[in-house]
Amino acid sequence: MKVVAFSAWWRRTAGGWTRAELNQVVASLAPSFENGGASGWEVGVTETGDPQLYLLGPAPDHECILCVSRLGSLYVLEDGAGRVLFEHDSLRALAETVKAVLRNKKAAIVARATLAWFVVREAFAEKVEAMLGESEELLVHFAPQLAALA
Amino acid sequence: MGPRTQFAKAAPEAKEQRRLAGAWLKQLRGRAGLSQIELAGRLGLKYYTFISQVENGFGRVPTESMETWARALGVKPSTFARQLLSYYDPELHRILFEVRQ
Repeated sequence: MKVVAFSAWWRRTAGGWTRAELNQVVASLAPSFENGGASGWEVGVTETGDPQLYLLGPAPDHECILCVSRLGSLYVLEDGAGRVLFEHDSLRALAETVKAVLRNKKAAIVARATLAWFVVREAFAEKVEAMLGESEELLVHFAPQLAALA
Repeated sequence: MGPRTQFAKAAPEAKEQRRLAGAWLKQLRGRAGLSQIELAGRLGLKYYTFISQVENGFGRVPTESMETWARALGVKPSTFARQLLSYYDPELHRILFEVRQ
């Protein structure tokens, strides 16, 4: 009886990724889907057939925010501008780095929002203080005159 | 009724435009006789994976490196940037360059 090489076929899935690789990488992306930092992922291949996985940012652009590629046994993680963030042959290390990068992205967004809030609050406080100062000055100026009239 | 203004690009449109840009870049690279690896080398990139990301329509050529890409592909930088703008931001391209009929 001829044995069909089924296992090899089964192990290789979309775009040259193995099921195990996809499971682990996609699991590490999950938090970004939950917090709205990403809208989905897609796979593709390079000219020479190396698999790539693209994490897509939010609507309306759905642009790539992280890209994982496998070159031989090396995993390369890049951001959407092509900056290399990580390169290693360990899938587990890759998944941990993806999680950390996404956590930092979220932290950066929170930090920016917090800073913006403080700037707005500070500007508001300055305006209110100026207004209060002005009315206090007016009160000091006119109060004796009003008292004299009374 | 006045003309309707659309403020946000529809997702499929932005994606399709990036895909078209990628196809155009791939064509330019082919014309220049370069592989993705060779182009990455000319751009000073450690890996060629970003070229693939852009050509597959998932990423964009960053503005700060458009000139380097143009020279590597043998295209005039202003022509290159203008063509990419027509894909990446068609509305801005229309405002800047549309010729009145």
